[in-house]
Amino acid sequence: MPIASMGDIAFLLIIFFMVCSEVTKDKKLDVTLPISEYVEKNNEALVARIAIDKNAQIFFDGQPVESAKDVEWGVRAMLENTVSEDQRHVQFKCDAALPKETFEPVLKAIAEAGGIIEAVGELGE
Amino acid sequence: MKKRRAKQLKKHREGDIPTGSFSDIAFLLIIYFLVATSLVKVKTITADLPTGEKQAEAQMDKTPIVNLRETDVFFNDKPVSMEELNDRLAALELQDALGSKKVIMLESTSVTSYEVYFQALAAISANGGVVALVEEE
Repeated sequence: MPIASMGDIAFLLIIFFMVCSEVTKDKKLDVTLPISEYVEKNNEALVARIAIDKNAQIFFDGQPVESAKDVEWGVRAMLENTVSEDQRHVQFKCDAALPKETFEPVLKAIAEAGGIIEAVGELGE
Repeated sequence: MKKRRAKQLKKHREGDIPTGSFSDIAFLLIIYFLVATSLVKVKTITADLPTGEKQAEAQMDKTPIVNLRETDVFFNDKPVSMEELNDRLAALELQDALGSKKVIMLESTSVTSYEVYFQALAAISANGGVVALVEEE
């Protein structure tokens, strides 16, 4: 049984997994997520990931941005060539302790840009 | 015996690299990536907020309104708990409603925390409502 190509196949599989693994862009964020019993696993494809950490710093796909306006422009740019509703989902992660004046402008910015907000939370009662 | 030893030494001098274990190493690496890669699916609520003109249209007198004042929740100006809010929203049967009848207005003070805001947003979305944010005057 010719097994000489098994090594090649194995290396191809390694390259496949290395390429397909997604790097978590907001892994280092210091965020305490809010709790709700209505959260569900999200299977939608996301066009962007917006996050606000404990220090009220806004991140767009892991990169810090200055204001909600930057978020709106970024989301508009991402959604420019989208055709269907399925391509408008934007993930929003925010620290549970932040006040409304910090996060609501960002929510409005995403909505104004045409994004459907997928607000991240933890399951709990 | 001496001939065999000489043959072995000659082979060593020719510099053959033993490649027999390459495939073992490759499979070990595959197993490592399979095990180490975590498929984390975040849990979310979906909120499609109306924008601009749609939000202006939604502001009608009879539209149900949820007020958040720090940790207190009010539904149509009556204090409620989160469970009661869910019951009131479920009673409106928003999934079967059409157009502007699905709209629930959400108003909150500037110091309301995201925890309370998120729970209200989740309750409205879970009951089929569309959230309209009330602009501060």
